[in-house]
Amino acid sequence: MKEVKLFLGPQHPGMHGNYSAHMYVEGDMINKSYALPGMLHRGFEKLMERRHWMGNLALIPRICVIEPDPNEMVYAMSIEKLAGIEVPERAHWIRMIILELARLAANLMAIGGIGAPVGLYTSVYWGVADRDLVLDIFEKITGARVYHMYIVPGGVRKDLPEGIEEEILGLLDYIEARLPEFYDLVMRSPIFQTRTRDNILLPEEVVWELGVTGIGMRSAVNKEYDIRKVKPYARYDQVAFSLPYGPYSDAFTRVDFKYVEMAQSISIIRQSIEKMPKEGPVRARIATGSALRWRVPPGMVYSCVESARGEYGYLVVSDGREMPYRIAVRGSSYPQGLLGVEKYLPGHRIDDASLWMDTMGVCAPEIDR
Amino acid sequence: MKNKSMFSPLKAWKYLVKEPVTIPKKMVFDEPREASDNYRGFHVNDWDKCVGCGTCGEICPTNAITMLPIEGLVESDGHKPERPAIDYGRCSFCALCVDICTSDSLAMSKEYIHISKDADTFYFLPDSKGIHQVEFDIAYNRDEVSELLDLNRYEIEEIPHEGRNQSFMELIKGYSKEMALAEASRCVECGVCTFTCPAHMNIPEYIRSVWQGDLKEGADWLYETNPLSNVCGRICTHKCETACVLGQRGEPVAIRWLKRYIVDNTPEGDFVEAATAKVSRQINGRVGIIGSGPAGLSCGYYLRTMGYEVDIYEEKELPGGVIRYGAPEYRLPEASVKADIDNIEKSGVKFITGTKVGRDISLEAMKNKYDAVFSASGYWIPKVLKIDNKDHPGIRFSPHFLAEARDFTRGMGPMPQFHEDVIVIGGGDVSFDVARTLNRFQRMKNGRANVRFIARKPEEHLAASREEVVEAKEEGVVYHLDRSPTAVLLDEKGTIYGVEVALCETVMDESGRAKTVCSEEKEIIYGTEVYMAVGNDPDFVYFPEAMLSRLKIDRNKIAVNQQGQVEGFPWLFAGGDIVRGPDIISAVADGHKAAVGIDEYLMSLK
Amino acid sequence: MNSMNKLVEELKGRFTLLEVLLPDQQQLIVDIDQMHLHALLSHLKATGFRQLSLLTAVDWIEENTFQLVYIVFNWDTGIHVLVRTKLPRDKAVFRTITGIYPGAQYYERDVHEFFGVAFEGNVMSFKPLFLELWDELPPMRKDFDPEAYSREKFPERPYVPQFVPKVEVVE
Repeated sequence: MKEVKLFLGPQHPGMHGNYSAHMYVEGDMINKSYALPGMLHRGFEKLMERRHWMGNLALIPRICVIEPDPNEMVYAMSIEKLAGIEVPERAHWIRMIILELARLAANLMAIGGIGAPVGLYTSVYWGVADRDLVLDIFEKITGARVYHMYIVPGGVRKDLPEGIEEEILGLLDYIEARLPEFYDLVMRSPIFQTRTRDNILLPEEVVWELGVTGIGMRSAVNKEYDIRKVKPYARYDQVAFSLPYGPYSDAFTRVDFKYVEMAQSISIIRQSIEKMPKEGPVRARIATGSALRWRVPPGMVYSCVESARGEYGYLVVSDGREMPYRIAVRGSSYPQGLLGVEKYLPGHRIDDASLWMDTMGVCAPEIDR
Repeated sequence: MKNKSMFSPLKAWKYLVKEPVTIPKKMVFDEPREASDNYRGFHVNDWDKCVGCGTCGEICPTNAITMLPIEGLVESDGHKPERPAIDYGRCSFCALCVDICTSDSLAMSKEYIHISKDADTFYFLPDSKGIHQVEFDIAYNRDEVSELLDLNRYEIEEIPHEGRNQSFMELIKGYSKEMALAEASRCVECGVCTFTCPAHMNIPEYIRSVWQGDLKEGADWLYETNPLSNVCGRICTHKCETACVLGQRGEPVAIRWLKRYIVDNTPEGDFVEAATAKVSRQINGRVGIIGSGPAGLSCGYYLRTMGYEVDIYEEKELPGGVIRYGAPEYRLPEASVKADIDNIEKSGVKFITGTKVGRDISLEAMKNKYDAVFSASGYWIPKVLKIDNKDHPGIRFSPHFLAEARDFTRGMGPMPQFHEDVIVIGGGDVSFDVARTLNRFQRMKNGRANVRFIARKPEEHLAASREEVVEAKEEGVVYHLDRSPTAVLLDEKGTIYGVEVALCETVMDESGRAKTVCSEEKEIIYGTEVYMAVGNDPDFVYFPEAMLSRLKIDRNKIAVNQQGQVEGFPWLFAGGDIVRGPDIISAVADGHKAAVGIDEYLMSLK
Repeated sequence: MNSMNKLVEELKGRFTLLEVLLPDQQQLIVDIDQMHLHALLSHLKATGFRQLSLLTAVDWIEENTFQLVYIVFNWDTGIHVLVRTKLPRDKAVFRTITGIYPGAQYYERDVHEFFGVAFEGNVMSFKPLFLELWDELPPMRKDFDPEAYSREKFPERPYVPQFVPKVEVVE
């Protein structure tokens, strides 16, 4: 049979962002493939070297569209470490609420979106619609739906609006009730099961070889490897939660784990609302003077958090001036999105390519930066 | 698949009666959803509050904000005639502009829909209405948490309050390096101060130098427009600080103290170099200057930088005028004055002291000797209040007394004579200089003081700067405010025993102007010596009669053109008090302007 | 932290480290010369640092060096080690670490594209990745000016303010 070159993306419903995989297919088997990023390259790392420490706030959330808040968090954490700033207690808890809400939003998009590559479009609408309810909360807290620019160096940008806790709790109850419906719709669907069970395997060696993190890693190496557990930031050491892990990672497990993680996120938010100080400062100044002249002491530091797709980190270098000297972004899905596509997408069928991208958690903007 | 019962498809039936999760497209436009109370929608800008400082454009990470000059707005103190225009093709709606807005004018509204095929419509000049001139509620606004300015000043070190009234030690010690950097980091570099500063000093630039730790560069900036930075760093009237945009919501940047930080901390060699580097060796012509006060010094220095030979004539023993014989030591130490004047001397200016124009050399002679003459003879004849017994020989006046005090503190004269119970009449800065100096002398000599201070106005309307009023009170000067002197009281032997005052009241009239009305009710304030410090007049005796009649003099001020040239006498320039009334920084500006004017005039003759 | 102290002691005993920094309790920065970097990484990988989290570079243009930063992670102790080494800027050639961490392949390609550092032994790293038809200096170098580049490559769109109102009140 003749080998045909096929482009998946950049414009394709099964593609996450403007990103493309070139596949050489024979029949419906992929023989060879490589990733073609760059369509989303916006030069963020370079731009950040030319903006004030505070001005970068407008850029960083845009690195990952689906889950922008980890970007803000790692950026803030890095500056706080460099400048030696204590973040106010209440701000830590607010940050946790925000980060977990963001994880919920991202996972809602994922458990809904997974319907697309298997042909279950209803779940896509559901996922987007329910994610919108989380965005409503974000809008009330931060003033924006997607790019919040809320977690800032030193704390959070504004205190929580009055009465938002009840609204969050109400939303959590709603999502909790919705999860079984999603599960019924997607996970119990025979089509979905056929397509995902024992398909798109991620063996432990591959995890270590590529550097895959997050759910992919936990489902393969049978350990609770989560940054929130291994090196807790904010106040994750003061809430109780446990994450799913297992020794066998197929597409189904990886989606299945998302449901468990969402339940954990819901639980973390509930605990945070209960445990957080009800008042107090939420932001510490990172330097004297106006934001145009904030300086961060010289140094290099790497900070990371657990995003919905795994370890998300920034390497921040300061030379003591009012702009960063260098910022390098470790997007969670960089390893699987590039090397993974090249080495492990071949051997699958064309119709599984989108499913592969989806369950491996490939997010194009964080690869491109 | 075993976990699915055969009835499970029935579950789907319940969704028939559920609301759909999607929204009809029609609704999006016909009934747009209201944004949250905190929403970062389109910008609104209150033009009445906006001062056009452009800080929003500085912080903008996407370069979306351009400051547009607006026809009809006029530049004034603390206001630029510009307003921010925002390119919504670039704006990322981060609201940093709102968080840093100095004047509290920018905010964001709940409006968020704008659709157009014309890209130009996305370039938008916000006012209090939105992009479509429809009013929406204000949504996102700055609060104290999201604040991006540093509104409070960093403390400057002062000598302890205890005992400061017993010596002439300088009150302000100055900023430490750390504090200076912190204070300098508050500046937003908008530059509205430059417009207001009479000398148009490069204030944002030298504050930036402090912030970057490059004091030599700072000193260079200072000498660009002001050769008396040591003096101005201490006793300038700092109009710039009144204009500073940080004063809109907080405390203005301590511009004067930062200038002082530069002069106090620049290594001497660098400082001298900053002063002399610009001086040109080439001789273009000769200029004579009458009076070595701030205007004369400034004019002489800038003429030297243009290559002129300069002689400054000074009646007194030392050059400096009011800075040498006026301001007291505790505000302006001799060493600071000397540093500035020495640098000017190093630039090649020649001082001819002890020589009074009109007495030792005539103006005619100067006209013949020099290509041009700059007169800055100042105000040295004290005004006398028109009250009973105003000509009594026991009444003393500020110029003479302060000069004596200065001579004493620099070790060039004895302590002036004074009584134990004294009365000072005034209200301006100079009268406080007199009162505080007397207070110190009395305590140094007698261990106690009795200085009574009389002024017509209440504390908040006094012409003197706020800190003078507060500090003099702390030091023990007794105030008798809202009192207008009517007579100096003499006993039968003809010696003074007090001042009779009428009780007054200052009220605001309809136009908001303060008006003082005095009643018939009188009261006596006791004291055996009276010091009058109610302003000075110029001494124009050196002008020949024929010339004086042709000069246009209005309320003691000589009329000159933009460059200080005296009307009808192209060779004669004037500046300082005799043109503008007393203010050191204005005098410096006059001197600089006149130097430029003289240069242009002399070049035009060639 | 105990495991951290042990790690520092152990590394100091085995390798000549140029500098050791501890930015926080679970992070270690070690500077090492080019010669011994591979040995150090191999050792780290064998002792639990199984994951390469990031490989990137910093352009210290004033010192005329590139600094390569290898971030490896031990999931059991939660310790990140930042292994750093410096290369002369004018001879920016180094050896690949794909033999130790295969996942470095694309990171090296990334660094090559954005900094111009060549990684011998990684043939793939010489191919372009993100930038298409790039004809300028590697863009993350400090001497590359993105503003000048965009001015040169893209037309400027003039602002035509047609909306500026006339203000009648003159103060």
